[in-house]
Amino acid sequence: MNDTILWYTTRGAGAVSLVLLSAVVVLGVLSSVRFEAPSWPRFLTTGLHRNLALTAVVFLALHIVTAVVDPFTHLGWVAAVVPFSSYYRTFWLGLGVIAIELLIAITVTSLVRDLIGHSVWRVIHWLSYASWPIAVVHGFGTGTDTWAAWMLAIDVICIGAVVVAVGARLMLRSPDPLAADRAKFRERVSRKVVK
Amino acid sequence: MQSDKVETMENENTTDRRIQARDAATRMLNRLTAGLAFGAIAGVGILGTVSAYTNPGTATTASGATASTSTSSGTTSTSGGTTSTGVQASPTPVSSSSGSGVAVSGGS
Repeated sequence: MNDTILWYTTRGAGAVSLVLLSAVVVLGVLSSVRFEAPSWPRFLTTGLHRNLALTAVVFLALHIVTAVVDPFTHLGWVAAVVPFSSYYRTFWLGLGVIAIELLIAITVTSLVRDLIGHSVWRVIHWLSYASWPIAVVHGFGTGTDTWAAWMLAIDVICIGAVVVAVGARLMLRSPDPLAADRAKFRERVSRKVVK
Repeated sequence: MQSDKVETMENENTTDRRIQARDAATRMLNRLTAGLAFGAIAGVGILGTVSAYTNPGTATTASGATASTSTSSGTTSTSGGTTSTGVQASPTPVSSSSGSGVAVSGGS
């Protein structure tokens, strides 16, 4: 295969992965605030969040594999697995490796959520709030098209969407009608455990 | 007795509506997932093409040299004990000569 095609595929897959990951984060935030509309039931948000997360992993795999097998860059598989082991843009590629490894941890624990329990899954799932910005910084640091107008537009839209979603999550109160009761219950249980 | 019967029928209707709504939402989820997956595939092609046009690009190799395609002839030189291992080229000729290429070796 022509190595320039691999190089352009790496860049295209990287941009698409950023869009997909941002959509996954926004949908995750929407599901946490229990968003629903008459034509948009709540399980549609969680289902799309799950499906898009798996799709994003596939496109990130494409992004990584095409970069590694590209004979011109010859990054090597170790650089794709071990953070900060790449000879080329060590720091920025290392951030990308950390982001994908966090994402793999989040995905795998989501798939075995019934086995590990909700509380462990929830703690690990919070890592997504670290994985996404690390991936964005990786793109800014090492992206070939970072300062191209079209890539800047994608960055602005993705960052804007996630910032608005997370901001809304922080500002809005939980729409869970049982939130107060659950909090009281947890408080009572923890008091009993302490006693 | 009659009111119980009416209530049961209403519950059945409500359940039916919920089942239908869930089926419709499941179909929508499948369509959205398939559409977004195909859109992402197309996106890789489109954005890859756009990136190729906007920034045909040079990639930096381990030695720090840059490479891209170029058909121009150039001058190769080795001097001062330094060697260049990468392919140095650019869309415009790095150096041009009207005659045949000249190779120079040696130096101080």
